[in-house]
Amino acid sequence: MTAISHLYRAVTYRGREGHIAWLLHRITGIGVFLFLVLHIVDIFLMSFGPDVFDTLLFIYHRFLFKLLIVFGLYLGVLYHALNGIRVVLIDFFPPLAGYQARLWRVQLVIFALAYIPSAILMLSAMFDGQ
Amino acid sequence: MQARLSLRPRPAETSGTGPANNLELYAWLFTRISAILLFLMAGFHLVYMHLILGVDAINFEVIAGRWQSPFWRLYDLFLLIFGWLHGANGMRIIIDDYVHHQGWRVIVKSVLYLLVLVIIVLGAYVILTFQP
Repeated sequence: MTAISHLYRAVTYRGREGHIAWLLHRITGIGVFLFLVLHIVDIFLMSFGPDVFDTLLFIYHRFLFKLLIVFGLYLGVLYHALNGIRVVLIDFFPPLAGYQARLWRVQLVIFALAYIPSAILMLSAMFDGQ
Repeated sequence: MQARLSLRPRPAETSGTGPANNLELYAWLFTRISAILLFLMAGFHLVYMHLILGVDAINFEVIAGRWQSPFWRLYDLFLLIFGWLHGANGMRIIIDDYVHHQGWRVIVKSVLYLLVLVIIVLGAYVILTFQP
């Protein structure tokens, strides 16, 4: 119960940029963690030879899963990576803390510049393969 | 107002309730150092696998070929260990934030540590013992 009320407060607390940045960092972190459980299990199947590995790899080749990679995994990893760098910069150079909101906006611009072209590239590769 | 970054372990607080726990300092530092390394290494891994190679091109043969080189085995082993320790530490912090009951905290963290151990062992096993 307390966990739910804490989660509710985490979402509804109005802390502007810093709060949104933190919340997204947490959500994307958990998401990447869960994906990596699947990822290690699938790579472990390499031990059982090509038949087992390639037949189970079909999950990754499904259209829906590829969409999930582009709009879930890739988006989440990229946000977590860029926001993580911002956190490291602020932690190692504390005077930057005064500019954290502005840094976050810069980070979002970098995110868009990196994400949009690569997402288009991945999506077009998906449709070429159809 | 301006705090100075100090990586020196703090001596036990004179008025504190117990010994200073420097584990948190090292966990904090590890998260930042591994973040920078993962930014570069997981970044390359993702760009190479998803943009240059593409998910459709990945199969048993491709990975077997990559693991012929000890460099890529080490690269993957490094990613596995640093990625999972970074993730485990993050989840530990999240559990501390949301699970307040002492007993549940021990149970949930034990499950986390067991999962991380199993995953690292599975991953390291296949990376180190794989033979095409």
